[in-house]
Amino acid sequence: MTSVVTGDAGFARPWRLSRRAARTLKGVTGIVLMLVAWQVSVPIIGMSSYFYPAPLDVWAAFVDLVRKGVLPIYIADSLGRYGAGVGIGAALGIVFGIAIGLSRRTSLAFSPLFKFLFALVEVAWIPIFVVWFGYGVKTIVLALIYVVFFPVMYNTLLSVRTAPAVLVNAVRSLGGGRIAVMRYVILPSALPGMITGLRLAAGFAFRGLVFGEFIAAKTGVGYLIFEGAQSQQTSRSIVGMIIMGLMWLAIDQFYLRPFERATVQRWGLIVDAADRR
Amino acid sequence: MKASRREAIVLGALPFVAIVVAWAVLPHVINYPAYMLPPISAVLRFAWESIQDGSLVRNIAASLARLAAGFAIGMGLAIPLGLAIAMNRHIADLFRPLLSFLQAIAGIAWVPLTIIWFGIGNGSVIFVIANTIFFAALYNTVLGVETIPLALHRAVRSHGGHGIKLVTQLLLPGALMQILLGMRTSVAYGWRALVASEMIAGSSGLGYMTMEAVQWQRVEVIILGMIVIGVLWVIMDRALFATLERRTIGRWGLMQR
Repeated sequence: MTSVVTGDAGFARPWRLSRRAARTLKGVTGIVLMLVAWQVSVPIIGMSSYFYPAPLDVWAAFVDLVRKGVLPIYIADSLGRYGAGVGIGAALGIVFGIAIGLSRRTSLAFSPLFKFLFALVEVAWIPIFVVWFGYGVKTIVLALIYVVFFPVMYNTLLSVRTAPAVLVNAVRSLGGGRIAVMRYVILPSALPGMITGLRLAAGFAFRGLVFGEFIAAKTGVGYLIFEGAQSQQTSRSIVGMIIMGLMWLAIDQFYLRPFERATVQRWGLIVDAADRR
Repeated sequence: MKASRREAIVLGALPFVAIVVAWAVLPHVINYPAYMLPPISAVLRFAWESIQDGSLVRNIAASLARLAAGFAIGMGLAIPLGLAIAMNRHIADLFRPLLSFLQAIAGIAWVPLTIIWFGIGNGSVIFVIANTIFFAALYNTVLGVETIPLALHRAVRSHGGHGIKLVTQLLLPGALMQILLGMRTSVAYGWRALVASEMIAGSSGLGYMTMEAVQWQRVEVIILGMIVIGVLWVIMDRALFATLERRTIGRWGLMQR
């Protein structure tokens, strides 16, 4: 328990790993342990590799997919669809969220509809999109735009609605026009909502992407998972699942977190300072 | 207060009315194949028929029963296991990255595998929901225990708390906020997973009903399915989770605002 309180930096024993490194090492050990347990369990369970493939089968399938050049293309396709859907959905969500949030009456009017449409999960739209647009990328990207739009818009709207009136009045009385109010009050106070909405939406959209690719794609990581199981190459499915997990962790780590840090903390401080004065 | 409430209701109803009007007018304005968007009357007629022959109620009941079963299994396994893992900091460090990875792939992605393991039907669907809830709840339990302040740990320990007492007096209540906060999101994922897996691996339920209708291009069935899926989620989210959060997190003053 003593290592929790690291006040003794100057006296740290040189041969000791830093706390971070030790944690990482432990985490890696946990993953290796799981893989070993999985490999050992295969002969014990004694099922065919179609039913219960071993980690080594999965590795072989991975190497095969990379050598054939399939995997990079699939990953690029999935990321492209995800980027397009999330990008368009978020942009629309922010614009509409601010526009609607600026007026009390419009936000009163649209809130129930948007709440309902948010509750109507994107997965449920896929059948009707298939009827309207056929099986293909269009259906998937539309579902992603849909699932990103509502959380981003709704949370942006809420944040804009809660922008302190004092600040608006302050900027106005100092001679600021509409643009100044937008720049110094509305946008900063909308940011936390945008980020909250985007974080929530990013996760739903990623699941939506995988499901959309099950149903309506001929490439992509979701297609790899689905097609692998359909063609009895289960280890391919598992390669797809692992790639999917890694992609999500990468999106979370390198995209969402830094974004959150850079915006909320920077802008949050400004609002905070304004509050104190 | 009363007047503003009435205003909110009236204003809030307007977009719904506008959609219904647009839906009714659209065929006269734009020319499209009739099957793509049947008139409201067709949806209402199908709704009435499916209520009368009991198929709608059966599908709703099937979906909700699976959600409940998956939820009970997932939570029932995850909380004890999560507490056991979190009791020891070294074990928690060992498993946390693995758990966050498994949480990232939990849910819909398992559907193709579960079809191999359990075939089409209940087993697959329940497994997927239980899996979604399980990994989310496990991760949140471990995280929840870790965020209990060290001072509280020491206080309980120094008063001689250990074993079961430690669990019931410190770990469980301490982790509860994180578990509950995580639960709402994880059920949202579970609900998606339910609808999705019924579409691919179901033989009944709302997801099955909507996806099955694609083959016959019966869009009125799809639209009814969508409306029911939306309304059910609104009811669940409002009635269950919002209340639960108010009763527990709100009351104990743990709500972060």
